[in-house]
Amino acid sequence: MSKELDLQNLEPVIISLGSHPGIIQSMLDYNYCLGHSAPNLVAIVSAGRKQERFFWGHDEIMVPVYAKLAKVPEQLRQQATGLLNVQSARRVLASMTETFELLPNLQVANIFAEQVPEVHALQVAALAEQHDVLVAGPASVGLLVPGVMKLGAIGGTQYPQLVAANIFSGGDTAVISTSGGMVNELIHTVTGAGLGVSFALALGGDRNPITTPAQAFLLAESDQRTRQIVYFGELGGDDEYILADLMKSGKVTKPVIAYIAGTVAGLFDQPPQFGHAKAMAANQSESAQAKKEALRTAGAKVMDVFGELATDLSAQAETGSHQAKPHRPIKQRSKAMIVSRISGDINGGVHLLGKELLSVVNENSLAGLDISLLLGQQITSPKVIEFSDYILRLLADHGPYVSGAVNTIVAARAGKDLASSLTAGLLTIGPRFGGAVNAAADAWLEGAGSDTEPKAFVAGFTANGGIIPGIGHKKYRIDTPDPRVKALTEQFSNNSNGDRYLKFAQGVEAVTTSKKANLILNVDGTIAAMLLDILESELDYSPDKLRELVDIEFFNAIFILSRSAGLMAHYLDQRRHDEGLLRLGEDDITYIPS
Amino acid sequence: MVDMPRQKLSEYRAKTIISKALELPYKGWSVDIEAPLPAQLQSAIEAGGTFALKVDQGVKGRFNQGLVALNVKAADLVEAAEQLKSKGYQWLIVEPMAEHAPGDERYISFMSDRLGVMLQFSASGGVDIEKQASSLQQVRVNDATDWEQLAQKTAINSRQLQQLTQAFLDNYFAFMEINPYLASENGLQILDSAVEVDDAAAFFVDSWQIDDFRSHSGHDQTPEEAVVKELDDNSPASLKLSVLEPNGSIFLLLSGGGASVVVADEVYNQGYGKQLANYGEYSGNPNAEETYIYTKQLLQLLLKSQASRKVLFIGGAVANFTDVNKTFAGVIKAIDEVADKLQAAGVKIFVRRGGPNQEAGLANMEVALAKHGLLGAVHDPDVPLTDAVKEALQEVDHE
Repeated sequence: MSKELDLQNLEPVIISLGSHPGIIQSMLDYNYCLGHSAPNLVAIVSAGRKQERFFWGHDEIMVPVYAKLAKVPEQLRQQATGLLNVQSARRVLASMTETFELLPNLQVANIFAEQVPEVHALQVAALAEQHDVLVAGPASVGLLVPGVMKLGAIGGTQYPQLVAANIFSGGDTAVISTSGGMVNELIHTVTGAGLGVSFALALGGDRNPITTPAQAFLLAESDQRTRQIVYFGELGGDDEYILADLMKSGKVTKPVIAYIAGTVAGLFDQPPQFGHAKAMAANQSESAQAKKEALRTAGAKVMDVFGELATDLSAQAETGSHQAKPHRPIKQRSKAMIVSRISGDINGGVHLLGKELLSVVNENSLAGLDISLLLGQQITSPKVIEFSDYILRLLADHGPYVSGAVNTIVAARAGKDLASSLTAGLLTIGPRFGGAVNAAADAWLEGAGSDTEPKAFVAGFTANGGIIPGIGHKKYRIDTPDPRVKALTEQFSNNSNGDRYLKFAQGVEAVTTSKKANLILNVDGTIAAMLLDILESELDYSPDKLRELVDIEFFNAIFILSRSAGLMAHYLDQRRHDEGLLRLGEDDITYIPS
Repeated sequence: MVDMPRQKLSEYRAKTIISKALELPYKGWSVDIEAPLPAQLQSAIEAGGTFALKVDQGVKGRFNQGLVALNVKAADLVEAAEQLKSKGYQWLIVEPMAEHAPGDERYISFMSDRLGVMLQFSASGGVDIEKQASSLQQVRVNDATDWEQLAQKTAINSRQLQQLTQAFLDNYFAFMEINPYLASENGLQILDSAVEVDDAAAFFVDSWQIDDFRSHSGHDQTPEEAVVKELDDNSPASLKLSVLEPNGSIFLLLSGGGASVVVADEVYNQGYGKQLANYGEYSGNPNAEETYIYTKQLLQLLLKSQASRKVLFIGGAVANFTDVNKTFAGVIKAIDEVADKLQAAGVKIFVRRGGPNQEAGLANMEVALAKHGLLGAVHDPDVPLTDAVKEALQEVDHE
């Protein structure tokens, strides 16, 4: 545990391992109610999504989610001083070991899981000691420092509970408890008596809590705000004897008021196991009665009846200085159905990408606006806009022969309307027609990103019997290249400073064309590589961000957008001719009777 | 989740694991007395010779309780097993008899705590080790341990000592006792052993599993306790129930590992301990179905009790995350079902609880109790927990 840990001046920047929406929301609510300007929870580590939605007061915010702690941006990891761990017991040792390595400035942590193996808890305890981190848990609801931070479920998981607990301002009484429910009960008891809480710490009911009662007492002793300690302990273990020694030796001088639960154990023949793992007295010295006596002898005020705690605290309320502090309130709120980062109304007017609609329209070219909308951010780089403009023009049409155009034409001739005929064509877009850009981007990102040799990369694909997206063309060959690819290459060399993805794709082409002449880098594969390069070099997109674009199928959007114009052109063209229904003739079909 | 974080392993499983770690052969049989005996003992009978039979159910002091049969001939195995069965046990361990002089019996145990592994040993082992407490020596094992010196003291060679320590750690043992063992030129010979494991580690080991746990409770489980145990085993939440006095007058339906003990303490402190019918608690945000089944069991016990005046106290601290309305929905449903019987028995129900959605939960509870004429009182956290308990105790006669 940190020797320099100063709870009252802690600057919480919290990462959550695993997601427990109720607990996280209550931490953010507490954070908001204190009047802080921004949420102190900065990241969640969890699988399966990229962001999670929470309330910040009445507004909804998105908290970024990362699949692994190592994926959390370095800057955030450096800043993090707090950790909430709500993962399963099985993962606690591994995830905490990683945490101590990756969060160099961590000061406080809470482990929520029950049933962490004892040996694992002890290993985490050793690491916590080594890294000077205060860890509440396992099986703990966390740490509350009124006015500073709520880490964990402690104090409640709903806004009305936080108000009822009266914990928005601090006081002079430290609450230390092995029980999560009782820590909250004691917080209510303290504030209900007119006193305030300096900090409240739930150690967890396990046999080997990472922070021991003794360490918690020393923390209270060094905490400048704490005047006295209220302690809830249970039968089992010998912690209270260590506490008594601390008091007798003068290492803990602040007054202690305690309740040790489990005198009822006297009713049982065999030593019983109560609700907490720790709560079982193996011998007489571990009994509640013996431990109460030890604390009494050391000078603690030990209550025989739990209710006497409240009476005692009320009697000293005058010496306390607790005032219920007004907090920033939270009224009724409801979750929106949809979150949009593209557009929405502000004060009744439509806004696009954060700006008023018309100003966006006036400031952007069509290509500039389209690429900005597709990337979800206003793009200002002239190179990116110029290159996007070129692709959009290049892909608009490639003749009435291609599958998509044929389908649009067939639908148009059948008398279908514009939207139906357009979609008939669009629905043809897929792995063999126009829809390979995204798959190719995936392949180049993977190949170039992992420093695989093109030859090994091709071997990997063929070994799995797969075809390489972005490679091969029905019509063009190495000796009759696609003129569009040549034109793209020229355009690209004007606009990009990086070309590692294109180089990799061309390396793959060199391998495949040596096998078969039509296995060239096609227009899909070329566009994919070039877009990756230009986003990386011009807009500083990281591999993770590019991976996200692949995951959401961004790279197919440009083809679909551009080709939509061509498909609509074919529809309108056919309607002008109005030739009537298209029907294939007998010669168009080869019938092979079975 | 299972009942306890530390569980006793069957001696059979313990010896199998320890012997393997020591690279020693182990010959023994685990016998389920409730299954047909002759088939299970067939291979032992065929092996011939004499045998030791011991109840293998985590019972301390077996020898003094007559739960051990020694020098049993192969032909008498089934009969000896039947005799132990008649004492109310289910599991036996059967091993070839090992002859030795009682004076050769030694003791060693391993225990884990915050500072590592603690070894205790004595040259005077055997059934009366408790009386030999002064002969016990203690050594904490760590990187600086002088194994050769320890080998001399324990008469177990240093290699086997280290193998035992490693087995203790690798198998997530919390306690391992070998008492007695014999020290011979060929190394350690284990006679009896007892092992407790950390059941939270079940996921990380394959040397033992839940089937290897052995416990023997002081009394036979009531059907109600069995249902709650089953419920607990299959839920991420925690649900516990033990009957103290079937004809008690004070029944507790409690939430929270800490608060439940506080409430039970209060009953005891106020001098009503003998009338306390049960201890139990639910925590970890169980769902309404689980609290329904749990409450149903408790109410069955309450209705069975022959006490003349009966009271039910439903209570807990201010929950951090357990939803009061949801958990109470199950409780109310179970009360609704037997409300007539409860009313006929003159039962009054007292409630004190806080936590998420407490307003709705407490209001629904009050309406339901009033409707059935069962209402004692319903309190939110403004009334101290133990005051609410005292109020409920007024309903029953002081002993």
